[in-house]
Amino acid sequence: MGSAAEQKLVKITVNGTEVEVPEGELIVESVKRLGLEIPIFCYHPRMKPVGMCRMCLVEVGFKQADGSVRMMPKPQAGCTLPASENLVVVTDSESIHRDRKGVLEFLLANHPLDCPICDRGGECPLQNNTIFYGPSTSRFIEVKRHLPKAVPLSEYVTLDLERCIQCGRCVRFTEEISGDSQLAFRFRGAEMQPSTFELTDFTSKFSGNVIEVCPVGALTSSKYRFRSRPWDLETKASICTECGNGCNVWLDYRSGKLVRINGRTNELVNEEWTCDRGKFGQEYIDSPERLDRVLLRKADALHESSWPEAMDAIAARFVESGDSSAMLVGPRATNEDLYLAREIVTKTFGSRNLDHRWTKNLPNNPEATAVHSRIADFETARAILIFGNDLSDEQPILYLRVRKAWSQFNVPVVVISDRATSADAFAEAVVRYAPGEEVEILTSLSGMVRGGGGSEDLKRASEILRGGFLLAASSSVFNSASGEATAVALRDLCASAGTPDGYNLFALGANEQGARDLGILPTEGGKDTKRILEACASGEVKSLWLLHCDPFSLYHDRGLVERALENVEFLVVQDILATEATLFASAVLPSCSHAEYEGTYTNIERRVQRVPRILPPKGSARPPWQVFCDLRLAATGAMPFFGPSEVMEAIAKEHSQFAGVSYSGLAGEGCVLASADSALASAGIEGGGG
Amino acid sequence: MDIIQINYRDSRPKAPPPENVELKFSERAVRELEQLLTHYPDKKSAMLPALWIAQREYGGWLPSNAIAEVAVRLDRSYAEVEGVATFYTMYHPGHPVGKHLIEVCTCLTCSVCGAYRIADYLKQKLGVDYGETTEDGMFTLEEVECLDACDRAPVLQVGDQYIGPVTREDVDKLLERLRNTAEPTSVKLADEIVQTQLHASDQEKVRKG
Ligand code: SF4
Ligand code: FES
Ligand code: FES
Repeated sequence: MGSAAEQKLVKITVNGTEVEVPEGELIVESVKRLGLEIPIFCYHPRMKPVGMCRMCLVEVGFKQADGSVRMMPKPQAGCTLPASENLVVVTDSESIHRDRKGVLEFLLANHPLDCPICDRGGECPLQNNTIFYGPSTSRFIEVKRHLPKAVPLSEYVTLDLERCIQCGRCVRFTEEISGDSQLAFRFRGAEMQPSTFELTDFTSKFSGNVIEVCPVGALTSSKYRFRSRPWDLETKASICTECGNGCNVWLDYRSGKLVRINGRTNELVNEEWTCDRGKFGQEYIDSPERLDRVLLRKADALHESSWPEAMDAIAARFVESGDSSAMLVGPRATNEDLYLAREIVTKTFGSRNLDHRWTKNLPNNPEATAVHSRIADFETARAILIFGNDLSDEQPILYLRVRKAWSQFNVPVVVISDRATSADAFAEAVVRYAPGEEVEILTSLSGMVRGGGGSEDLKRASEILRGGFLLAASSSVFNSASGEATAVALRDLCASAGTPDGYNLFALGANEQGARDLGILPTEGGKDTKRILEACASGEVKSLWLLHCDPFSLYHDRGLVERALENVEFLVVQDILATEATLFASAVLPSCSHAEYEGTYTNIERRVQRVPRILPPKGSARPPWQVFCDLRLAATGAMPFFGPSEVMEAIAKEHSQFAGVSYSGLAGEGCVLASADSALASAGIEGGGG
Repeated sequence: MDIIQINYRDSRPKAPPPENVELKFSERAVRELEQLLTHYPDKKSAMLPALWIAQREYGGWLPSNAIAEVAVRLDRSYAEVEGVATFYTMYHPGHPVGKHLIEVCTCLTCSVCGAYRIADYLKQKLGVDYGETTEDGMFTLEEVECLDACDRAPVLQVGDQYIGPVTREDVDKLLERLRNTAEPTSVKLADEIVQTQLHASDQEKVRKG
């Protein structure tokens, strides 16, 4: 909502107390300023009010010139009532109490009251409101209506039609927030039911949110159904590591097992939303494919081994290999893992071969992977350019933010892509190119932004972009043949629109940005990913370490990967799950998932967020940073770090962008790193909180 | 994890992607819709008349393809159009209706004046219950609320006509007449509603193409 400073303030009276609030603010929100609460069902602060459930009724009046109050004859819905001068609101009168009882009695007449077997029982707004404001007994003695109780809307969402109170939150979520409008109310009156078109598959990429948005147990998670009661769950704040957005989540667990993921509010990152990939994609944590033992290859088979034995064997091999050893890093490693990985490769092994990039082409210029904007900046952008792949696939929650910018703040959006994307639906201009044409298109667009002219579809785009814009592109740009040139053309385009600082080439993996910042790149004269793999294949690199990565799934050239892994003399696979690469390993080191060890991740806007250890590690899995410490100890006798917070202290000392970052300061919203150029000014640190 | 619903994933049908929806509107229908769209600030607002066009084009009812077609033509989601079509009782999504839809008012005045006896007689003569269609696809019987013609109670509606007060003999005559009417009254009603939406100038343009 717009800043209060520029808005006119009006005086309203709530339960006899005068308070100044911005004109037009909804009364449900205004009363919160006094620490009061109006019970609600259909109102959701992030959606337009509809006044469907009548739970929020308040008495309303107006102060007259002579100081007396003229009350309106009927109560009104607080969720649709805007604050205006001299408004008088009563939220706590006898008649309001009666109204609330009445509304709840009506809602409950058609509700099955099956709380004892309902997933929502214990955290249900309907249950809570009934306890606080509802009648204690029911006058309804007739037979309840009966409806299907487990309609599978999708793989993830199951609808219980009896429990629905027809508040429309789910329908409005798909209309207003995710924008796919896949849910709508069918039929009318008491028969009204939310559903997809003829109960076809609910394919939204954000379907999981409706489970949380539903104020009753009507929309339930197919994965969580009947698995636990809320009061049996423990929960801890975590973040999602499925993509680089770093969404804040609650990780609910029970007896050491992950049970479900819910969105956690962080206005600056994900507001309160999650995407389905994040919400349902974390089952791998308890997967049977988890690596839980140390394995060493003896003769032709992998045999169970122990950490000390493996450490000695590995240290000896890698130290001996020196510069003909190499390490490749995947997207899911904490900053602490990455920092120590670089330490041991460059210092302990004395190698220059290290990389975290898996795209077809690898950018040489660090400016190509620069990021200037924060996620929330997109709301106030003049215009937004989405370039490359479908944003809703690559960075789903950033996509929601861009959509919000368009729907709430009228920010025009331009899409330049080689395929149909979700954002086309609301983009003001869509430019399609054939793969290979991207540089040409961007260059002519830059020309037009500067001087006008050009073909029709580009004209519209250039007009929108002319006054400056924010770019949303990702490192997948480098998967095209002209990767580096495309990045240059994009930078040019930003500059010709007068906003060079609008350039953002976002990272894709959970901590890809961290790897960029901590320099997980070949050092002077070293080999990059492609050349490491080639050198492995030719036998030039003798020992290869794979940290949380499966080259088979990350790298495009399968043949090269196969040759590399087959021919390298000694291969260490340190991973969470058994992958194809494990089959080639000389040593397998089981690793912890992000929920099993403490660490920090840097998201696409360079926000460093701390994740606690929540679950016990599987088997003998250990966090990578600890393994690296042990290795250093075995190889050089260097003193190990006691914990990840100590590693962070070392990072802060060495990397100027991290100056001032410490674990104690990372509670709450995390903190955004200073940009590389203004690195020395540690003033870039904000948030903090704790 | 999947103890409750095993592998239902593949059994749930998928909605067709918009480009696969078969567009069956006749040329005239397309022109009518074009004209209607000029009446409103956005495409969404033309949804009700567009559904009437679809109901006419698809033979008096709205199969799923009709709903999908309206959605595609108006750039809305299928679910939203289905929601509208299922809200109003005069649209018939889901099930085909007969050539003639006979609606019996059983609201207060009509019921006092013998509507139920008429309804029972109709059920018996046609061999169908409310909401059902005769085997030959000729008649569908429907019970409705007050038709706002209480002065003619008990009253029936067939297509664009009110018939009342009716006796058993009138019912016999009516059925006889309808059997010999070639044009389906359910389609005719849809067409008439479309025409009332079009201004004279629109109709001109539709005719000229
Ligand atoms: S399913 Fe839930 S969110 Fe949707 S209308 Fe019903 S009660 Fe509201
Ligand atoms: S919350 Fe106000 S009417 Fe539902
Ligand atoms: S009661 Fe039948 S027309 Fe009014």
